[in-house]
Amino acid sequence: MKRTFRNILLTLSAITLMAGLSWADTLKVGVQAPITGSYANEGQGIEDSVRLLAAQINASGGVMGKQIEVIPCDDQGTAMAAAICAKDLVNKGVAMVIGSYTSTCAEAAQKTYFNAGVLQTSDGTADSLTEHGYWTFLRNSFPNSAEAVFAANYMVNVKAYKNIAVVSDFSSYATGLADAVIAEVKKAGGNVVTYAKIKADSQNFTPVLTNIKSKKPDVIFYAGYYTDGGQLRAQQVALGIKADFIGGDANDNPDFMKLAGSAATGAFIINVPSPELLPYDVAKDFLKNYQATYGKLPPSIWTLMNADGMRAIIYGMEQTKSFDNKKVADFLMSMDKPLPGITGPLQFAKDGNRIGSSYMTFEIQADNSYKVVHAQ
Amino acid sequence: MDIFLQQLANGLTIGSMFALVALGYTMVYGVMKLINFAHGDMVAASAFVGLTIYTQVLGQATSLIAVIAIFLLSAMVMACVGILLERLAYRPLREAPRLSAVVSALGASLVIQNGIMLIWGPQMRIFPELVPQVYWDLGGVVISLIQVLILVFSLVLMIALYLFVEKTRMGAAIRASAIDQDAARLMGINVNSVIALIFIIGSSLGAVGGLFIGLYYRGITFNMGWQYGLYAFIAAILGGIGNIPGAMLGGMLLGLFQAFIAGYISSTWADAFTFILLILILIVRPTGLLGERVAEKV
Repeated sequence: MKRTFRNILLTLSAITLMAGLSWADTLKVGVQAPITGSYANEGQGIEDSVRLLAAQINASGGVMGKQIEVIPCDDQGTAMAAAICAKDLVNKGVAMVIGSYTSTCAEAAQKTYFNAGVLQTSDGTADSLTEHGYWTFLRNSFPNSAEAVFAANYMVNVKAYKNIAVVSDFSSYATGLADAVIAEVKKAGGNVVTYAKIKADSQNFTPVLTNIKSKKPDVIFYAGYYTDGGQLRAQQVALGIKADFIGGDANDNPDFMKLAGSAATGAFIINVPSPELLPYDVAKDFLKNYQATYGKLPPSIWTLMNADGMRAIIYGMEQTKSFDNKKVADFLMSMDKPLPGITGPLQFAKDGNRIGSSYMTFEIQADNSYKVVHAQ
Repeated sequence: MDIFLQQLANGLTIGSMFALVALGYTMVYGVMKLINFAHGDMVAASAFVGLTIYTQVLGQATSLIAVIAIFLLSAMVMACVGILLERLAYRPLREAPRLSAVVSALGASLVIQNGIMLIWGPQMRIFPELVPQVYWDLGGVVISLIQVLILVFSLVLMIALYLFVEKTRMGAAIRASAIDQDAARLMGINVNSVIALIFIIGSSLGAVGGLFIGLYYRGITFNMGWQYGLYAFIAAILGGIGNIPGAMLGGMLLGLFQAFIAGYISSTWADAFTFILLILILIVRPTGLLGERVAEKV
């Protein structure tokens, strides 16, 4: 009995020792993403793309000899779970974190990563993400303010809508984008007839839409996420509101079309070019590998944006020949030549914002494909 | 005025879905004096079962017969799950203190919710467009085919249930068991089969409600049962829990209340006002709108 106990103890300590040794050799990459919950397909896309990149890098010898170990954490798309994830990933000793998908979750986790000196790269587009002055944060997408300029110009000057209704939910991203769009529309001389807010996930948007209907808008600009956007569009059509529908960047997801059903046809979405429109060789390679590994294409451009964020940080480590996060961040925010990325040239400003944006307006066709109707 | 009528139509649609779900709570409470917290998750499960029946069993055929088959098959599957739930989670605790049964109900709710997640995955599933998007503009008020179907179908089911409980022998047995189980047993009523029947009816109605949610909103998630369960529970209390017409009235009123609050005040406040309404009802009229004052048995 005594011997058995001792043997178990010995085995356990041996395992711990081995595990400890193998840990020391790896570069830990955290993934903070909504792997379950409403935005699960985006979260799973981010995790899949990080694992794919890690496998590719590991196969070619790792990062300066270190193998990458991926540690995922599910933030469920909620700020509360995001804060817990941040603590958890920091405790597990990650060097960098990829994610999260939503600005709210990225923002809830930011300070923890900053305090621990862990690099974070997120596709969150809320402007507030880069306004805290955290050197650890790199935005791999473009901020709302850039999209708002494009959207306002499109609505006021290109389409010449007279009355514009804006709808958002209560997340950092949606309110940020809606506020920015309203400000830009006013600057461009457009008229915002109403600004309504919906509660994400509440499914029943008919009361809000009925109010919007009474304002007789020519267009509804929706700044929230695709899960609500698809239903909002379906209910808009069912209520006979004849206005155009323009969804912000977070509506760019196949689920938008599925939720809206036949009502999706004719809706517009404003975003950076979708994956299949990317002209870069890096993009074609990555998409081919992604398709081969997972048997499907990434859910949206956000998957690729996050993959680019990870590629940038690893590029920074290799260029500076260092695992010192501060050095890597300083290097990335002052590169004079951009890194060719999956989603276009990658270059960061001093505040962690990605430089250079190119937006497009897509019109959803009857077969659910995108037609580019306007480009920057 | 047309805005008011439009909100009325919106409210009646969601109200009838609440009412269908609320009936499940109220029937179980009426007979067993137990809040079946798992009911909301049963409703969510039925939407997933319906979707699976559509894609796997019916091979994605879109026709009127397919839609009817989805409803019938899902209701049957959920009725079986309901009986199983009663057998496993509630019957062993029938003589136990009330609190044990409540904890068991909460446990069953978690088991079903996580069961859905394990079987169908954590991501949102999307219903196909089974009911064509047809809508009519009646002088500014737009009503869609699916809204009409939900309203009419719910009313028919509710009236049928009311007649069943009030006019048939089985209904009399249900009412007797609700008043006093021991006395009912002495009169030769098999209370166990009455309770099984309650779960069959409640779960089937819940299944219809769940499918309506799927068909109307199209997006279904594994954790949506909690939200709809909570609303339906409030509707049941509002109408007087244990009272069948009360649940119908409560559901409709709650739907209208939410539509008007969201329409005229703010959608942000809809939930807050719903709970304020619940608190007010509990203070002013604890037995609900139609609940009769029952002397507590000592």
